[in-house]
Amino acid sequence: MTRNSRVFLSIVFWAFVVYLFVPLALMILMGFKDSKFIGFPIQSWTLDWYLGVFEDTDVIGTFFYSLAIAVASTAISVVMGTWLAVLLTGRRFLGRGAVYALMILPALVPGIISAIAFRIYARQLGIEPGMGAIIWAHAVHNVPFVTLVVMARLSTQPKSYAEAARDLGADPLVTFVRVTLPYLKPAIIGASVFCLLLSFDDFVRSFFLGSYQPTLPVLIFSKLRSGMSPEINAISTIALVLTAVLGIWAERSSRRMNKEN
Amino acid sequence: MIDHAAQAKTGSDVAAADDPQGRPTFWGRVTGNRAYRALVAVLFASPRRQFLILAAFPLVWVVTQHLGPMLQMLNVSLLESYPLSAGEEASLTFEHYRKFTADGGLFLKPFFRTLTFGVVLTFATLLITYPVAYFLARHVKRENQLSLLLLLLIPFWTGEIVRTYAIMILLGNNGAVNLALQWLGLVERPIPFMYTGFSVSVGLIYLTALYMLLPLYSALEKLPRSYSEAAADLGAGTWTRFRRITLPLTLEGIGSGCTLVFLISIGYYGTPVLLGGPNTTVFAETIAGFFHTAGDEWPTGAAFAVIMFFTALAMAGIFTRLIAMLRKGDSR
Repeated sequence: MTRNSRVFLSIVFWAFVVYLFVPLALMILMGFKDSKFIGFPIQSWTLDWYLGVFEDTDVIGTFFYSLAIAVASTAISVVMGTWLAVLLTGRRFLGRGAVYALMILPALVPGIISAIAFRIYARQLGIEPGMGAIIWAHAVHNVPFVTLVVMARLSTQPKSYAEAARDLGADPLVTFVRVTLPYLKPAIIGASVFCLLLSFDDFVRSFFLGSYQPTLPVLIFSKLRSGMSPEINAISTIALVLTAVLGIWAERSSRRMNKEN
Repeated sequence: MIDHAAQAKTGSDVAAADDPQGRPTFWGRVTGNRAYRALVAVLFASPRRQFLILAAFPLVWVVTQHLGPMLQMLNVSLLESYPLSAGEEASLTFEHYRKFTADGGLFLKPFFRTLTFGVVLTFATLLITYPVAYFLARHVKRENQLSLLLLLLIPFWTGEIVRTYAIMILLGNNGAVNLALQWLGLVERPIPFMYTGFSVSVGLIYLTALYMLLPLYSALEKLPRSYSEAAADLGAGTWTRFRRITLPLTLEGIGSGCTLVFLISIGYYGTPVLLGGPNTTVFAETIAGFFHTAGDEWPTGAAFAVIMFFTALAMAGIFTRLIAMLRKGDSR
């Protein structure tokens, strides 16, 4: 590789990093601006916008509403996703390809179409727009991500583990709970965090399946439609920090678990 | 750690009913329970029954929950009216599909704009992220690659709306880009970036770049460096090595990255609403418009969503076939 192309590539790489981080950094900075007017230059600084957010019971309520949705939908996705992964990595059966295609379908449907389809189906099932409908839509949408992650891990488990357990007299249920499940732990933790983030950050499904109580992204969206304000920066920054911390923690812990294996 | 624990268990105590002191363990108590044994005897009597128990619920789930919403959308798109009033017979019609081409191209415009946006943005994302992935996979020491990848992942954990807002601040008339341009003396007055195709594009690339970067990185990372080195020894220049070796061998990653980015980018609703203007209306906004009302326009919205879904699938399918053909052609 010539020196020129190396220099070119490293410039592109770091320019890309700047492109990714500068908008978020500016958004964070703007949340400390002592003026209602969004834009540069920033003459004086304040923490008032953050204090305002912590005193705003609407925002706090919305935050916990989103969190509850994320936790509940993740629980469903992880159970169904793992179950599907076990089915799809087990012995071959007629129609396995079709089941795989159906499993992955919710991840491939473009966002708006997925939201519309869920909205129509919720009405068909008699689920009113609101928390239950959002939890259900997030759960179904996130299943494929769990299945893919767990399938990848499951395919690396030596067959002899389960066989040994069976030879020692364990029934399939005990074998799964005491041998397979512990082996899948890193994958399940990683997939859970991914689902939590997907659900917490989701806009389009929450928007179309929600009732008057918004989730955090829907709240930010509706506030943005009536104009930018440093208050939105403060809310967004808090959401950003929380998701980043959770993501980094999951990434590090799954890497540590993989190393220990 | 976990593996050793699992191994230890498979070796000694998975089926053991007692701990070393002779007291029954938790699992010993469970598996020794008569009701549990009876249940296991019934559930796992034959391999066939075992399979049924494993497969039944997931099969019902994927058919009713994964496929069900799509089928019901198709069904509603063919209904004369929805919801049906009491006692009304469901009557099927293609009327709502016909509306797609009606009204002097009112709906065709955003439709083709969305597809064009999707294709152009996918290509732009590929051009931007390929060198990034290449640098990461080839010029960074292996032990640092994961840390840098983690660095690139951080912004992508943030949600669509928060990142869209960040782009709004960047590109606004008092945004950082305009401020920098004015400070450098390149422009007199701020350039109106916002509410144009440009702002929507910057936003969508910002949102989808990762879905391109990851498949490209994993394809490049798998590719042995020795291939390029061998070609270099045989006298191939940088460009030739890239065109004849690296590019053909990463076609698969390019294919999956492009398919993902295309399907994801045409589905965004919030970002084009916030970053776009009247001249950049995308089809997602058209579809959403039919659902803001209580229900009488749902069949039209559903029909449009079906059209968009099958068009997107067809385009992704043709593209995947194209990539497969290119790969075959190269291996010959």
